[in-house]
Amino acid sequence: MNRYQFEDLISDYIENELSLSKRKEFEAYLEDNPDAKELIESVRANMSQMKTMTKMTVRADFNDRLLAKIQKDHGQSHSPIPSQRTFFGFSPVHASLMTGLVVAFVFVAAQFFTPEGNPLPSQSRNFAEESIPTLSNPSLKNVNMATPDLAEAEEDSVSEDPKKKLSKDFSKKMHFVND
Amino acid sequence: MSLDKQKSPFVYTDEQLISRFQAGDERAYIELVNRYRDRLINFVYQFLGDFEQSEDVVQDTMLKLYEKKHYYREIAKFSTWIYTIARNLANTELRKRKRRKTTLLSHMSREEKEYELPAIQPETGQEVQNEFAEKRIQKAIQELPEHFKTVIILRDIQELSYDDISSIVGVPLGTVKSRINRARLQLQADLKDLR
Repeated sequence: MNRYQFEDLISDYIENELSLSKRKEFEAYLEDNPDAKELIESVRANMSQMKTMTKMTVRADFNDRLLAKIQKDHGQSHSPIPSQRTFFGFSPVHASLMTGLVVAFVFVAAQFFTPEGNPLPSQSRNFAEESIPTLSNPSLKNVNMATPDLAEAEEDSVSEDPKKKLSKDFSKKMHFVND
Repeated sequence: MSLDKQKSPFVYTDEQLISRFQAGDERAYIELVNRYRDRLINFVYQFLGDFEQSEDVVQDTMLKLYEKKHYYREIAKFSTWIYTIARNLANTELRKRKRRKTTLLSHMSREEKEYELPAIQPETGQEVQNEFAEKRIQKAIQELPEHFKTVIILRDIQELSYDDISSIVGVPLGTVKSRINRARLQLQADLKDLR
């Protein structure tokens, strides 16, 4: 091995990349050349010193300045850092909007699904209050108070008259063709 | 399941993070910035030798990452891509300096004379000696030819693999190994009086 070959293999030797035969040849050269051995130690020391050099860190406001730069350059009104506070995955603004929409939907749905002829209790109460005349009101003097309130009637207004029911019974009027 | 496994949180790879960022997750961008800002400033500082300017270059690198996120393709490692951007921006900054003829290197060489004169006094503390040695090494690195400087910084300071360095500088693996070896020998010659 000559000097040029030796120098070409220095990094491979230090990083244990040489084959066994090459390594033996290299070490034999080192034994014969003390200055070569010194050179290896010196390179090793430099490498070690470089690895342990003081590591720098960016200043604490690095990210803030970067984000300000991004907003300036791109005219963005929002920060690239999204808000950490969310409600079921929604931001506070969107969560309130969604809540409002859900409430509105439930209210509208309730109007649609109320059975016909059976108004909501609140509507029934209002209607009753409006229909009951009050004597203190002078405009209601001529209202016929003799008319009994349906609610006070003895018979259930909903129940059907048995005579009517009979008249609706068509079973005796029906004749089969064979009869 | 071991306790260690329970404690260790799932960590995204750089490639997963850039992929998420490309899909619109800006928290992934912040995570990438946090991962690379210090590594890059140590890299760029070796070229420029000035902290403030190095920080500006790292900021510009991160800005490029934000603007050009869709240029990244997963055929390369994210680290090689970001180091390439930083290296190109640092080189641009160096060229600007040369044009202005107010390079920091000439400024530093005047400053360095202060270090050279007193040498290492017996009463000098270990900390001061280390600081002195670091300054000398940094100066020696900055004075290396460009093609040696980049590879030696990436290998011996940033501790990247030969393959990654080959991707960053865009030269074959064998050339990278040869350059690193030559750069180490040149540094050793320049720093002979330090030992």
